[in-house]
Amino acid sequence: MDVLMPQLGETVAEGTLTIWHKSAGDKVTSGELLFEIGTDKVEMEVPAPATGVLQVINVDAGETVPVGTVLAVIDDGKAASPAKETPKAEPAKAAESASAPAPAAAPAVSKPAARGDQHKLSPVVRKLVAENNLDPAQITGTGRDGRIKKADVLAYLKGASAAAPAARPSAPAPAPAPRSGDGRTVIPFNRIRQMTAEHMVRSKTVSPHVHQGMEVDFSGVDRARKAKGAAWKAREGFSLNYLPFIARAVCDAIAEFPNINAHVEGDNLVVHDSVNLSIAVDLNFEGLVAPVIQNASAMTAVEIARAVADLANRARSNQLTSDDYAGATYTISNNGSFGTYFTTPIINQPQVAILSTDAITQRPWVVNVDGEDMMAIRPIGVLTQAFDHRAIDGAYSAAFLRRLKEIIETKDWSAALP
Amino acid sequence: MAELTYREAVIEGIAQEMRRDEDVVFLGEDIAKAGGVFKATVGLYDEFGPLRVRDTPISEQAILGAAMGAAMTGLKPIAEIMFSDFLAVCWDIVANQIAKSRYMTNGQVDVPLVIRTANGGGARFGAQHSQSVENWAMMIPGLKVVAPSTPADIKGLMAAAIRDPDPVLFFEQKSLYATKGEVPDGEHVDEIGTAKVVREGDDVTIVALAAMVPRALAAAERLQSEAGISASVVDLRSLVPLDTKTIFEQVEKTSRLVTVEENPRLCGWGAEVSSIVAEEMFWNLDMPIVRITTPHIPLPSADELEDIALPSVDRIFETVRREVD
Amino acid sequence: MAKAASKKRATKKRAVKAKAAAKASNKNDDIGEEKRLKMWELQLEVRHLEQRAHDLFFQNMIKGTSHLAIGQEAVSAGCAAAMCDDDYTFCTYRGHAHTLVRGTSMTGMLGELMGRSCGMLGGKGGSMHLTDVEKGAMGSYAIIGAHLPIAAGAAWQAQYKGTGQVAFCFFGDGTTNIGAFHEALNFAVIWKLPVIFVCENNLYMEYTPISEVTAVEHPAADRAAAYGLPSIIVDGNDADAVYRVARDAAAKARAGDGPSLIEAKTYRHSGHSRADPATYRPKGELEKWMERDPLKIYRERLGEFGVTKKVIDSIEKDVLRRVDEATEAAKESPPPSDDVLMTDVYADGGSSWRN
Repeated sequence: MDVLMPQLGETVAEGTLTIWHKSAGDKVTSGELLFEIGTDKVEMEVPAPATGVLQVINVDAGETVPVGTVLAVIDDGKAASPAKETPKAEPAKAAESASAPAPAAAPAVSKPAARGDQHKLSPVVRKLVAENNLDPAQITGTGRDGRIKKADVLAYLKGASAAAPAARPSAPAPAPAPRSGDGRTVIPFNRIRQMTAEHMVRSKTVSPHVHQGMEVDFSGVDRARKAKGAAWKAREGFSLNYLPFIARAVCDAIAEFPNINAHVEGDNLVVHDSVNLSIAVDLNFEGLVAPVIQNASAMTAVEIARAVADLANRARSNQLTSDDYAGATYTISNNGSFGTYFTTPIINQPQVAILSTDAITQRPWVVNVDGEDMMAIRPIGVLTQAFDHRAIDGAYSAAFLRRLKEIIETKDWSAALP
Repeated sequence: MAELTYREAVIEGIAQEMRRDEDVVFLGEDIAKAGGVFKATVGLYDEFGPLRVRDTPISEQAILGAAMGAAMTGLKPIAEIMFSDFLAVCWDIVANQIAKSRYMTNGQVDVPLVIRTANGGGARFGAQHSQSVENWAMMIPGLKVVAPSTPADIKGLMAAAIRDPDPVLFFEQKSLYATKGEVPDGEHVDEIGTAKVVREGDDVTIVALAAMVPRALAAAERLQSEAGISASVVDLRSLVPLDTKTIFEQVEKTSRLVTVEENPRLCGWGAEVSSIVAEEMFWNLDMPIVRITTPHIPLPSADELEDIALPSVDRIFETVRREVD
Repeated sequence: MAKAASKKRATKKRAVKAKAAAKASNKNDDIGEEKRLKMWELQLEVRHLEQRAHDLFFQNMIKGTSHLAIGQEAVSAGCAAAMCDDDYTFCTYRGHAHTLVRGTSMTGMLGELMGRSCGMLGGKGGSMHLTDVEKGAMGSYAIIGAHLPIAAGAAWQAQYKGTGQVAFCFFGDGTTNIGAFHEALNFAVIWKLPVIFVCENNLYMEYTPISEVTAVEHPAADRAAAYGLPSIIVDGNDADAVYRVARDAAAKARAGDGPSLIEAKTYRHSGHSRADPATYRPKGELEKWMERDPLKIYRERLGEFGVTKKVIDSIEKDVLRRVDEATEAAKESPPPSDDVLMTDVYADGGSSWRN
């Protein structure tokens, strides 16, 4: 019986055999620990699939081989299994292609099983990229193994130019009307809905999302708001909410944890020098858009506040342009207005992280005054960051969140306001 | 419009032209009194008589040689080669004589003839009576090559072939003889060298010929309903002249090309189509070009074996589903 | 010694008697002077043109290959005399003679052999494919046997249309062993086609004596019975004999009585092709046949029928003059221009296989 490199995960194509617990010639019992494998994600112990003698070892400890490789052969006294086609990286598809008989399948497929390399741009993709002066790094690939396919480039182009017209209710092609009957109503997706749907699915396909929440005490921010809020409103014409403070704190924290402000390109993490902050805006239940504050890291909290207000206004009055959507490196999704405790946001591709700010509510809180723990009432809100586990690990993200919390809780925000 | 079988359409196409032009004559083995071994010429002898519809001995070289001599001197002969495999017996007349005479004589000689023949497998006749050899004809300069997939196309392209001043090899797929389809009434003349888009689609273009066309269409239905893949299907209808324009239009739209060919792998007609697309539409491709063909083996006779060998709807479906991302 | 001398005297006496008898006889026998002069002219044309082609080949002005029929002139000339202008002829790659006797231009022929634009095929066919459709010369064919069924097809057209035309089909002894020969004969007989198959048996199939590779003695005539046809053997070096046989066969065909198979015994003076010095011939064979050179025979024949030496020679002089003129004209013609390369594959004059 052949001992194969197991399928370790949907997108994993190879594994490293780390330790053999048996040698060639040893007796093995079915279920007994035979070897261990490791990937960048997981270490695994693998039991022997049969009882017999470990006849031959093909792959040595330390070698990395594709999934399905015959690692060893156990002589279990049964007739040798007929030579199988090496299963392909996608197990679901391998089951179906096995039913297509070998002689017929062979001429139909004349290329190696592992295909898909995000570096490989097909001719039509290269052409479109060249014609439109695009940076492939900015385009999310949804083809096999994450490659950029023609549809991705076209969607990217549409998104860059059509997001603006899509934000106008008076778009040239109005969304088709809902149809009622049979106890249900069918509401066709409008353009924004379609694009949102596509983007969300794509994002989840590409990035392995991990979410971490951090409770943050906004009392420091509140003091500044209460002190300067009325004057601000009178002067600026809009209220000072928490977002600009959080945004400024995010920029500060990113300065110390720059990998949060990046995107993935093949096997590389491309880190950006400045933070172009994208703020998700809900258009009165009609859809979500995320215009960008360019170079927010160079702005003060005040400037950020004004920029956010401007973007929100222009978004709601259909005045955003394609420039307002380009080049974001980090996103804040402001979800708290309905009182939610936390949200697990979906990353705005091709960024590697996104922050959700949820409701800030007065809560009983343990504070330490003069070395003694006592109860107080504090405005507490949960900040939840989703990060792309290809790019960074939990410890890094958590450390970033801790620093972010620290800045929000300890910075002299009154000094930041006029 | 009338519903005819593919074989009835052969008869209609020939009859239409024989009624119209006295110079059209027809010879072959068992084609007259017996109406053809595939019953594809029944009734012609009765209508046009023994001077215009003539049985011959088993003499393929004489059949095609006589057709050529008659064509050179003013007639418009149709010659039947019973099974396309037998073209090998008289290939000299096809490749060396008929195809080349006009060129060698600097345009002096006309050879306005049609060689019609039953092509392809699926009937369990074994390796020497089941081949698809339209690619043999494609590669000889000087011929036109036609292979229709529907009764309407049979009638219209047969008429066009008979009227064509050049020699035409007209491949009738024997596995399609019993299939039915709507055929226009009255005079119906189609155009050789034009392909048809028989199904529109956005994700991938499947180019097929003759008996592979209905299979490609069936696979396309499944691809849509089971895999959400929208496939366009092009029925090439003629190999020479080749309608590259239609192929290019489709590839520009979908950026993916798959061919489905009944011929064996090497130098099948799809190899030429793939090569042309790879060369002239390279910058439109989002996927390597895929050819689905019979493997490079002689065809077996047993039911199950022949069915595996010829591209099946399942194999077309599985291959396209696997390759399109 | 004396016996030989007396034998010689007797022969001479007989010759003088015969000459006188001929002079006295009707000059207008079944052939007649006009036709004879025509046949003489045709044989001279073939001889001198082939000779010129031979010389031009050695001057490197004719390339590729060339199959000369020097010594076989009587067959094509004799048959041509039996043809009408609208009859069809089909011949092999050794077809200069058969094409020339249909009245095609000498300039066109030499031009084609030299690959010039004045060539009858524009330089695209070459020596082996000489064709002049206007004159009924429906092609020279380089695949052994292929043109036999094609000739039958041309005859079928004549039969179908009731035009009274016939097709003459010329081929060599080697052709009688290939499949297409047998198919064509059977086919022509069962359909009663007006085609005359003329086998020029020059004793050699390319480099091999025909007797070594043929199951019967007379490669064509002995196969006739297999197809229900009479065996017809004729002296292929005597144009009159050939003419009579061809005339009768054509009459039979025109009357609707079907095909004929004629075997004409002859000999070629040169090798199979220009590249062949013919060292496979037995010693003395060529000399024996030179005695029976068709032109030698015919010159004497004309004399027997009272044609003067003056007339005989002046015809030859005229032929030579025309051959010279054609040679000069062909030499002056340029090679074909590049743009004819892609023309005339299809009826529209082009070669396009796609849109």
